[in-house]
Amino acid sequence: MASITLRDLTKRFDALVAVDRLNLEIQEGELITLLGPSGCGKTTTLRMIGGFESPNEGDIFFGERAVTWLQPELRNIGIVFQNYALFPHMTVRENVAFGLEMRREVGARVRQRVAAILSKVQLVGMESRYPHQLSGGQQQRVALARALVVNPAVLLLDEPLANLDAKLREEMRFYIRHLQREFGITTIYVTHDQAEAMVLADRIALMKDGRLQQLGSAEDIYRRPSNAWVAEFIGLSNLIRGTVAGRRDGALSVRTAAGVFSCAGEDAAGEVVICVRPESLRFGQEHPNRLRGVVRERVFLGNLLDYQIEGPDGLRLRVQADPSRVFAPGTSVDVSFSPADAWVMRAEAR
Amino acid sequence: MNRGRRFPWVVFLIIPIIVFLAIFFLIPYANMVYMSFLVKPETGAYLKVFTLGNYARALGDTFYWKVLRQTFWYSLVTTAVTLVAGYPLAYHIARAPKRWRGLFLIMLISPLLVSIIVRSFGWMILLGKVGIINTLVKRYGGPELPLMYNAFGVVVGLVHIYLPFMALSIAGALQTISPDIERAARSLGATPWRAFWRITWRLSLPGVFAGTLLVFVLAVSSYVIPILLGGNNVLVMPIVIVQMLLDAFNWPLGSALSMVLFGGTVALLWLYVKLMNQALRWTTR
Repeated sequence: MASITLRDLTKRFDALVAVDRLNLEIQEGELITLLGPSGCGKTTTLRMIGGFESPNEGDIFFGERAVTWLQPELRNIGIVFQNYALFPHMTVRENVAFGLEMRREVGARVRQRVAAILSKVQLVGMESRYPHQLSGGQQQRVALARALVVNPAVLLLDEPLANLDAKLREEMRFYIRHLQREFGITTIYVTHDQAEAMVLADRIALMKDGRLQQLGSAEDIYRRPSNAWVAEFIGLSNLIRGTVAGRRDGALSVRTAAGVFSCAGEDAAGEVVICVRPESLRFGQEHPNRLRGVVRERVFLGNLLDYQIEGPDGLRLRVQADPSRVFAPGTSVDVSFSPADAWVMRAEAR
Repeated sequence: MNRGRRFPWVVFLIIPIIVFLAIFFLIPYANMVYMSFLVKPETGAYLKVFTLGNYARALGDTFYWKVLRQTFWYSLVTTAVTLVAGYPLAYHIARAPKRWRGLFLIMLISPLLVSIIVRSFGWMILLGKVGIINTLVKRYGGPELPLMYNAFGVVVGLVHIYLPFMALSIAGALQTISPDIERAARSLGATPWRAFWRITWRLSLPGVFAGTLLVFVLAVSSYVIPILLGGNNVLVMPIVIVQMLLDAFNWPLGSALSMVLFGGTVALLWLYVKLMNQALRWTTR
């Protein structure tokens, strides 16, 4: 087990900066997800940590040890790829034993450890099968077993669930979480799926265009996004542009085309964006921030109703409310939100 | 459900090729088999009398055995050299960035656009007694090197024309191997060499087998290169067969020798395929 530190990690491919001065500290035993759209640099980052790409600048540490220029086979890592990358010409047993064999372990000890890990991933009885004789979920577990059996210092997972069907993916999220806790292994998990990141991660590192946008728990990022891009990427959001007018009673006062709103948020000045989540908007006037609008569309989602509201100055708001009161399209409504639910942030992504 | 019962008319699409092969391959071949059992009279081409005499001569004469052995030996050496030279070539093509791959493939195939005879003359200019290489070597005081009209010249020529077949077969197999598989092996503690040997090499074996089979069969039946670059010093079966058919005008014995070459090649390939299946068990299970 080891912590992982990335210091000013930078990777360029010709003119493209794939990873741009990335700084990240991952605690021992922590599971961090690198989350972002495709092309954001998350896989490149993982490859650099694994030793398959060399950074142009910056350093990588496992614990105190600098591994930036170390060959992959000397890093003591376990890695699971999106396509599993099982060795198709080897049986399940041979696949799992490969890492031990490379460490020059032989005989009864190898058999014992392979058997133990296979029972842990519930693959007893599959030892003599070849990868193509297994289902996607089973191949996935072989890949996990193969990575874990060598007791790696860090575990790297590159979209490991992307090729599974929805139901299995859901199950495997919890399974991987459980396995990771049990082994207590420092883990970096790359994904573009925010639900996956939220279920799995102790902390989420959100990336865009090679840069870290925000690092924090799922709740942190959802409630206090660092910029408009983050707010839109994670969950649904209403974004209202405005300018900071001043500070009153510990709250920021922001002037927008739809009125002046009192908001929470760190010190900000000039052009800002207010983020209000659809479930924080209420019908009626119960909160101090109020505006009037017209219901344009209404969709029934079972546990809630999803409204599109047109506010002043063409402002489009999305409101998710419980189905106890129903407003028909065309109705004029009052909408309000609390300053605590109005989060002020910078307009631009990093 | 009606669909399943409909007559599969598409099978008729293969009729042209079946007709073509029947007329231009099967019938001449059957004729040759027939010919190999006929008697060669003093004058004239053949008598329609059954005999095993041609086979007795073809198999009883140590000269023909020696030629057969040489033919297989040169072909084996050619196959081995194209494999050793072609594998790294194939690896680099398969692992090249996509935008370069097409260019590399065109470069690899481009020699095939020039006729074998022209290319052989090219080699003669290079390898001959007063060829470019020998001229240079002698200018700097070296001895005259025997580069042509011997087995060396023949193998050089054969390797040159068959290398693309080997490299293409192997590159095809290598391209199907995800680079992530090698990465996985490296992450588990394998050095680059061990990862190659234990993983990549094994997974590329189907391509290696296809390439070696192809090159061996082509080399065994090659005629132009051994004639041009071997002079009269390198005798291989196709040369002997052509001499028998055209110069000696002995069609029955020439046919029998063809059958012997065919039989010997098939026997070797059968052995090879058995070995191959052993090594590729994992693909069929």
